[in-house]
Amino acid sequence: MFTLDTRSRVPIYEQLMDQLKTLMIKDLLQQDEQLPSVRNLAQELTINPNTIQKAYRELEREGFIYSVPGKGSFVAPLQNDGNGERLEMLRQDLEKIVSEFLFLGGSKDDLISLIQKIEVGEKEGEK
Amino acid sequence: MIQASAVNKRFDDLQAVEDLTLHVKKGSIYGLLGSNGAGKTTLLKILAGIYRYDSGEVKIADKPVFETPDTKQHVLFIPDQPHFLHQTSLNDMAGFYKEVYTRWNEKRFQQLTKHFRMNPDKKLTRMSKGMQRQASFILTLSAMPDVLILDEPFDGLDPVVRQQMKNAILQDVADRGLTLIVSSHNLREMEDFCDYVGIMHNGGLLFERDLDELKTDIHKLQIAFKQLPEKDAFLSGLDVLHYEKRGSVLLIIVKGREEEILPYVQSFNPAIFDLLPLTLEEIFIYELGGVGYEIRNLIVE
Repeated sequence: MFTLDTRSRVPIYEQLMDQLKTLMIKDLLQQDEQLPSVRNLAQELTINPNTIQKAYRELEREGFIYSVPGKGSFVAPLQNDGNGERLEMLRQDLEKIVSEFLFLGGSKDDLISLIQKIEVGEKEGEK
Repeated sequence: MIQASAVNKRFDDLQAVEDLTLHVKKGSIYGLLGSNGAGKTTLLKILAGIYRYDSGEVKIADKPVFETPDTKQHVLFIPDQPHFLHQTSLNDMAGFYKEVYTRWNEKRFQQLTKHFRMNPDKKLTRMSKGMQRQASFILTLSAMPDVLILDEPFDGLDPVVRQQMKNAILQDVADRGLTLIVSSHNLREMEDFCDYVGIMHNGGLLFERDLDELKTDIHKLQIAFKQLPEKDAFLSGLDVLHYEKRGSVLLIIVKGREEEILPYVQSFNPAIFDLLPLTLEEIFIYELGGVGYEIRNLIVE
């Protein structure tokens, strides 16, 4: 289910958070679906259970999941507010990529049509 | 779970451990790192109740360790050189452990022996170093410890066995809240395994911290300027551990919060600016460099 890059400089718990978020955003983990237990993930991935707990704790703090005492962690309903921090980060990443794209001679129109294509795809996905 | 306060240990004219205080939380995997001869093995042997310390206090689960059989029932130590009774096989040793450790888990012993394809009747002294280490892991894990003290534990194990041993240990951490303190020089490996680290140097502990926290407040900056700002003016706003100039690129190791460093550096209009987390190896090198144990250029004659 997950592939962690142990050679990456990105901390394992952040990698885990990112992958879980992707699964939730793409709806592969659906609302109210139970997440794998800390024990199972630790066994499956051979990583420190404290690291997994930390990733779950952070995801809960950011509102992506909720936990039921004695039962485990579940996917929370997706919210669109409170993503400000993440949006700002993504914007900065985009800025870097777009500047390089334009510097290497990519055209602005290409980018705009790309965005439109993605937006249409998202909408169709919702139907 | 493990508490050491102001511990001192002296061998003749060598102060091996000096005024050392350390804490390990229950269920944590604590990586003990340090320069060669820093006193790691001595400290581990003190924690395991093998050495008597000169002064200070060591407690595991609020009880003393040295000469305390009750504590030692649940605190197991794997030394860097595996040691077995003379002329014994794995089965002989299991018989001995069974007598000593009341929680001995025969089912687990059988399962692990089979899983790691060990011949339980072969004399242990005739096995390779790696096989001997495997044997000590099997024996130790079968005694169902609450605390494991490991000295360079994965040394000599091949990557396949290494991964499986770690996996078995991690399951005990998740299930039973097993607490570990592990010394190692393999920082790459410790980085994924531990959640807490302590760095020893000259018998003392430089610091101990949550590994992720440690990584979030020390950063590597790679910056290139079209117009190089005045060095002192630029660096004065940063807590610099290390500064290097390679061509037009500056390499700076700084302490501090990302949210503060980013806007500060941006305000100088860098042409290229990357902020990277440090690897444990880099943290180790720069922290020890800070106390005079740095990498010096060596050109061999």
